[in-house]
Amino acid sequence: MEDESLHSSLHSLRGEYEGTREVYRTRRNEMPEAQVKMKVREAGEKASIIDIEGDLTAFAEAVLMDAYNQASDGRARAIILNFEDLEYMNSSGIGLLVTLLIRINREKQELLTYGLSEHYRSIFQITRLDDAIAIHDSEEEAVRAANSV
Amino acid sequence: MTEQTPQDEPREKQKREPRDAAYWAKYAETLKVAGVAEGATNINVDGRRAVGPLQGFGKMWQKTYRVSLAGTEVTPVEVIKTWKENYQEFWPEGNRFYAPLAGIAPGEVALISGSLPGGVKLSTGVMVLYADDESFSLMTPEGHPFSGWITFSSFEEEGTTVAQVQVLIRANDPLYELGLRLGGHKMEDEMWRKTLENLAAHFDVKEPVETNVVCVDPRIQWSQYRNVWHNAGIRSAIYSFTAPLRWRRNRPER
Repeated sequence: MEDESLHSSLHSLRGEYEGTREVYRTRRNEMPEAQVKMKVREAGEKASIIDIEGDLTAFAEAVLMDAYNQASDGRARAIILNFEDLEYMNSSGIGLLVTLLIRINREKQELLTYGLSEHYRSIFQITRLDDAIAIHDSEEEAVRAANSV
Repeated sequence: MTEQTPQDEPREKQKREPRDAAYWAKYAETLKVAGVAEGATNINVDGRRAVGPLQGFGKMWQKTYRVSLAGTEVTPVEVIKTWKENYQEFWPEGNRFYAPLAGIAPGEVALISGSLPGGVKLSTGVMVLYADDESFSLMTPEGHPFSGWITFSSFEEEGTTVAQVQVLIRANDPLYELGLRLGGHKMEDEMWRKTLENLAAHFDVKEPVETNVVCVDPRIQWSQYRNVWHNAGIRSAIYSFTAPLRWRRNRPER
């Protein structure tokens, strides 16, 4: 029941996404800047990486959750978000990360990140997401930490 | 070794200067109110840390309130500009938002005077976490009833401009969680409904406000029970009760 309500929250925005390993979504023409592309890849035995490219806003919700579902398919005990190609994030994007974190915690998984620029590290600090999400400097470091979970 | 092409240059520039850089507040360990407006009380904001939904005590809620501005030509940018400039006017009676001197801009801190269930007066505030042309978000300080963010946005949906308030919050401490369960949720829902109705009325629109409430995390964060130390309701009540003592202490000697 609770999972259902969370799932419905995370998919409350309309949109279409492909059920492939690469997910892409562009909002309607009036907001061409709301674009995001996510790729999912495995990293060791226990972790999956989600590469985020583009904008993390409310309109990325369906794409992010689809990527998460793919990433946690199988044995992944840790999900790593790669922000190296993040181009834009607003407060709704931060909200998405909070709801993703809650879902990951509920699944007894761990959420890690790497590739955050100084600017986005500062945003994690202001919003106090850094209290709950591990931030790493490189993919190697994040993967090592994830596989030692 | 790779050679940089002209096409790579914009991408490199984006990495140096993120497009959202101007929209976010800068990090500060604690909040600082730039100026206290007449009638405002700054007893629960200066020196407090801003808190998000991960730092609160109670269940985590995502509540979305939205109204369609059907029948008008107003754009999302115009809606947000109007909202920022007239924030206080759209709030229901009984609550007062003392806008920062610099307006609703990233990093600015506003003071709030409100009321809790039972008629307790509450002095608290909010920090402008994020503000762009089509949205702005407020983040609460320690002691505020909620720990989290409130995002005000406007966008087009099927050719119609929509105005939306979305909160992602937990009650900050056990007392507030109890208050929410004993009528606080209803008060909050009514407040944002009324705000959107007032905003819509400003554009001569009378449409119903849609509400969507989701419990994102039903767990209580018991480790955060100490947040009650900063409870702005208790501190505001003590401040009110001790007003005569302050008056006696501060009156001029004859």
